[in-house]
Parts: sequence; C-alpha cells; structure tokens
Amino acid sequence: MLWIALHLPTLSLESFAATLGSLRHALPLALLQGQRIAAVNRVALQLGVKPGFKRATALALAPQLRFGQADAAREAQALRAMAHAALAFTPMVALDTEAALPCVLLEVRGSLRYFGGLPSLQQQLRAALAPLGHNCRLASAPTALGAALLARWRGGFELGAHVDELSALRQRLDDAPVWLLGPGREHRDALQGMGLHTLGDLRRLPRSGLARRFGEALLNELDRARGDMPDPREALRPEPRFEARVELFERADSSEQLLHGAMLLLAQLVAWAQAQHARISGFTLAMRHERRHRGDTDTPEHTELPLALAEACNDVQHLQLLLRERLARLALPAPTLALRLRCDQLQRSAAPNGELFPTAASAQQGLLRLIERLQARLGPDQVQQPVLCADHRPEHGTAWQPALPQARARLPSTPAQAPPLTRPVWLLPQPLALPEQQSRPLFEGRPLQLLAGPERIEAGWWDGAHAARDYFIAQAHDGALVWVYRQRLPRVEQPGEGWYLHGRFG
Amino acid sequence: MDLLPAAALLAAPETLHPALWRAHQLGRSREAAVRSGFELLDAHLPGGGWPRQALTELLLPHPGVGEMRLLAPALAGIAAAEPPAPRSVMLFDPPAPLCGWALAQLGVDAQRLIVVHGRDGAHGARHLLPSADLLWALEQALKSGQVGAVLAWLPLRLRADALRRLQLAAQSHGGPVFLLRDIEARAQPSPAPLRLALHSAGIDELALRVLKRRGPALMQPLRLALPPVLAPLPRARAEAARLAAAATTRARLGPAAGSATMLSLAE
Repeated sequence: MLWIALHLPTLSLESFAATLGSLRHALPLALLQGQRIAAVNRVALQLGVKPGFKRATALALAPQLRFGQADAAREAQALRAMAHAALAFTPMVALDTEAALPCVLLEVRGSLRYFGGLPSLQQQLRAALAPLGHNCRLASAPTALGAALLARWRGGFELGAHVDELSALRQRLDDAPVWLLGPGREHRDALQGMGLHTLGDLRRLPRSGLARRFGEALLNELDRARGDMPDPREALRPEPRFEARVELFERADSSEQLLHGAMLLLAQLVAWAQAQHARISGFTLAMRHERRHRGDTDTPEHTELPLALAEACNDVQHLQLLLRERLARLALPAPTLALRLRCDQLQRSAAPNGELFPTAASAQQGLLRLIERLQARLGPDQVQQPVLCADHRPEHGTAWQPALPQARARLPSTPAQAPPLTRPVWLLPQPLALPEQQSRPLFEGRPLQLLAGPERIEAGWWDGAHAARDYFIAQAHDGALVWVYRQRLPRVEQPGEGWYLHGRFG
Repeated sequence: MDLLPAAALLAAPETLHPALWRAHQLGRSREAAVRSGFELLDAHLPGGGWPRQALTELLLPHPGVGEMRLLAPALAGIAAAEPPAPRSVMLFDPPAPLCGWALAQLGVDAQRLIVVHGRDGAHGARHLLPSADLLWALEQALKSGQVGAVLAWLPLRLRADALRRLQLAAQSHGGPVFLLRDIEARAQPSPAPLRLALHSAGIDELALRVLKRRGPALMQPLRLALPPVLAPLPRARAEAARLAAAATTRARLGPAAGSATMLSLAE
C-alpha cells in the first residue's frame, strides 16, 4: 500500500475567495472565526494582518479588509471536487474530514506503473488539480494516516514528504509533534504540561497509563499511523447526480460576474463527470434572485438556464464558451445572489479517441462545436439546415430545421439530375403580384418575355393550401431569368389573369 | 545547396517566393485554388481558381443574376468529396429563401448546407447595416477552420475594419470565402484580393468583370455560359426571336437613320 495524502491548508479561505470572482487576488481577505481572524490571504498579510488578530485590530491596519465566515458546506463541496479530480488516478480515494485539517487520501500502489512512477504521478496529479485552484500539500507514506500526518505537518517539508518504507515512516513520526493527532489537539495543554512534545515521547510511555489519562483514541490513532493497527477506509463514490451551489459574495448584476461564479461550478462539474468516466450532455444553471423589497412577488425567485449539448463533452473551455453566450442573451429580472448547478445528464460510453491528423470524425466534431456556439448566441432557429420534401409546390419543397445533429433524419439522397435546371435557387418568401399590360406581365415597369412554359403544378388540395398554377420561365429586361406563374383559376376578388413572380434563377 | 546565378534571378525574380509576381503575370498562391468549373474563368484567376484563405468579393446589381450557378460547381466539389472528408457550406444571411431542390439539381448536397441568419430572423427586413451578431458568427465560422466554403451576403454599408477583420479571420479558413454585395460597393475600397462584378448577359450567360486581382488589369468582361435553365429547344426559339426582333428594329431604324444623315448633309 502506498497512500498519497493531499492536505488543503487554506481550503476555507480559498473557497471563500472563489465567491468573489476576479477581485480575489487584489483584495485583502480574512476569514473570521468568532471574533478572531483564522486565516488571511497574501494581500492582507502584506498589509500586516496576521491570523489570531482581533477583528478591530485588523480593521485598524487595513480598513478595506473583507471578512468572510467559514462555511462547512462550501468547504465540503470544494473538498469533494478535489476528491473527484483525484479519482482519475486511482479508484481508492477517501476523504479524511477531520474538522480543521481536511485531507484527501489516495491509494496509488496499483497505479504507479501506469503513470510512470511516483514523481510523475504526483506531477500529473498536481496538474489535474490545478483548475480547481486550491493550494495543496502532498505527502506519501505506506499508511493512510501516516501520509495524512506528514501532509499536515509543516515542519520542513516544503515540497511534501515522501516515505516509502514503513520503518522510515515510523522514524519520521517519532519526531512529529503531538498536536498532529486529533485527540492530541484536544489534550494539547495537558500533554505539553507533562513534557510530551513529540509522538516519540508519547510512544515511550506505558500504554495503559496513557489510555487511562487520555482515552483509547489517542493510542489507536498513533497505532494506525505507524501501521501497527489496520486502518480500513471507505472508497468515495461520486453521487449519481451533481448538485453544487455557490453563494456570491456580492450580488451580481452583469453576466460577466455570473460567469465567474459559474466557472467555479463548471470546474467541479467536470471533475465529477471525469471521475465517472462519463461526459456531460447537459446541465442546468439556476440563479437565485434578490427580492427588490419584502413582499415582492413579481420577481421570480429563480431563473433556470438549461443547457443541452449537441455532443457530450468534458471540455471546460467549450462549456464556458457556451455558457458565456447563453448568459449574454439572457435578460435577468433581478440581481443574482446565488448560483446552483445541477446535472444528471451524463453519457456513459467510451471516450472518443484523440486524433493526431485531421479525420472525418474530428472535422465533424469541430463543425458541431461551431454550430453549437453559433446557436448559443443567435438562437437555435437562426442556424438551419434544409430538408427536401417530396412536394411539388415550391414553397413546400424545402423545409428548414435547426442544424442539430440528433434531430436530423437521414435524408434520401437526391437523385442526380441532368440539366436543365427546373427550379430557381431563390424563392420569394411571398409571391409578388405583377401588374399586366396587354395580358403580358410587367416587372419593374418593363414587360417580361416568356421563354419557356407552361409547367403546370397543381397540388395541395388536401391540406388547404391548394395551388393550381402555370409556371413560366421569363426573362427580365436586364437579361436575368425569373420564374413567374399564372393562377389557373382566377379569383373573383382579383381581376385579370393573376401573374405572380415566384423566384429568381440565381 | 548551390545558389542560382544572380543573372537568372534578375531575369525571373518571381521564382524567389510564391508571393512574388511580375506586373504582367498572374499571382500565385501557396495553396492550390478551388477549381471554379469554368475553364475561361480559371485561366483568368490568379492560382487558377477561387482563392483559399482569402476573401472573394462578388458585386451584383440584385440577387438572381446567376451567382449561384457560377459558384455551384465549386461548392458541389467541396460538399461532395474533398479530402479528408466532405465539408459543409455555410450561407450567412441569404437574400431570399433557398430552394433546396434547385441546389440539388446544381449538384450541391443539401445535407451539407447550413444557413445562418442574423438576429432579425429568416424573413427579417434587410438592413443597411450588418448586425453585429452576423459579423461575429461569420468570424467564428472562418476562424474555426471547420467549414468548407462560406458565402455571406453583406450589406452595402460595411465598415472597412469589419472587412479587414474578416480577411484576417479568413486566413485560418481552408476554403474559399465569397462575400456577395451590391454593385454600389464597387467604389468602396476593400481588402479582398479578388473582386468581381457580375451582370447578366442574356439567357444563361453571365458577364463577369474583374475589378481587382493579383495580376494585370483585365479590360474585357468575361462571358461565361452558366448551367442552363432552358432546354435546348426553347433556348433556340428564344434566340431566334431575339435575332428577329433585333433585325426588325434595325430595319425600322435603318431608313430613319439614313434620312437623318441626309438632313444633316442638306444643312
């Protein structure tokens, strides 16, 4: 067994900072616990604010300091996303949710060979976790708890501690401070008072006496860390449906602000989908709005933005692009306070192969993404594809449907026809009534010269759009060919023979 | 590698680089051009066909002079089989609803067509100014490099920087890009390296004037025989009628013209 422990020392502060959007690197931030400051970011540290200060002291030093409260649910969500991302490396991922020092544990003995050894695995792990934007410390050891203790121990392991042998781990742990153990923190003052500073000091004392004074738990944890006692862990399984929320620090008025919050959720969503080796085929972003005043019932509480993808994918960039275009189109009734992202539409199938050279499949996929992007901004009905229908009436011969691949039926291949062309390329949306002169149609004030025809089209008596027309090919005065027709059955309200222009031979 | 003698280089400097050509020669391009399907036209286009990775502007008095029949052979080739795969043809803001059957008759596979309308909708009013959304969509399509050919109907009033952006975006697009605009745009400058003016020149014939190309100016318009609309018989009949009408006009004008000359002589 070889465990890697990921310790997230500043998880609460980072998950709070993420709700601030793009401002988070520029503003001094501090996390409050009661009336004291628990953690500060780099900007605040430069202003002289340190953890442990009182709120008033900190405000005196840095009036622009922003305070946040630790939120257990928010932290758990961030930690779960880290665990999901880690699931790409091993099926055995466990969470060590000890109150103040959260850890993700991975058993990687079986994956070492595949990922090319421990250093390479750790590098890839860091790269996979980078999009989630958390500062993490790695350690590896033969026992789960041993790895977790090493990762939490700040002393001298800037790059993380890596111990391969059980004996070496035991040696290291002898120097570790007692407060690393959970029960050790509870009894910290008592242990200090007895002159017990390291785990080695603890181990040299008689066990029964220790157990009587500090409880069995302390010794149990020590034994599990040293590998003297079995330490079974339960593997984490991703939930069947994803739901994550983020409370924005400030109410968001613009779609750009919303996008910052949504990006955080999207990164977590992609980690969740990747952990299940599935691809996302759609999700819903819900925005909770601020009420304008109490008893305001006009403003809806939520706006939901469902997003369906033409082709399932796990590409954060692509999802972001789609969401950006959709958000830009959306008119929100009120400022947004919180975002929630839900997803239960996953496509579980083998991932498509990556291609080195352009192929038909990759070209098709690239085109789909383009269409999706255009439809996200312009609307699905603005990007269309023609469908040929077997109907003699020209206006019913071509139907238009949104260019979406699933909705597209396989069309019968059109028979290759030899010239001449019998239909014009451009059809007028409405046939244009032409005036007449000596029973010849006039177009733009000049008589049309009929060259060929008539071609009789009579159809549609069954669906109420009866057409009985004689079509002619005519030449306009500038030489261009147009398609005109004469109503076969003159209407009572329209005297004359009823000439209409219906198309142009483009 | 031995260098060419300086004298030979001076005699033929165009061999130095594909972007070089002499004023009396046609320009070349590094990429093979798309055959237009008209031999006469290919002979007068730089590179021997429609250029790739660059804008081609077609200026016409009104839609329906034969522009689709002019482009159809090239589009059919792109949509049918061009390595690595048949590619799509995207049409932006066409001026009227398209008839799919007509395109099928011209050999363009309807399944490969994608029509993009600006925000105003399929039958929205034509505006003098292009919608920002349409230009955005056009640029996205060009930049993605996934589309086989692009046809865009752009309005007359178009800012020069918008055209320049499109020309830059076209460089990552592997196929031809045709911008169809009103003939009035002839007087406006354009970054497109190839500009053609189209006119109808009779039944199933198109007169094509080269306004700008990489090569010497071409004075005479080219007359191209388009894929015919008329069957041979009506066509022959129409030709005969036209000739007869011309003859009668000449016969009617003949004596009058003669008497006018007589009058001027008498004075």
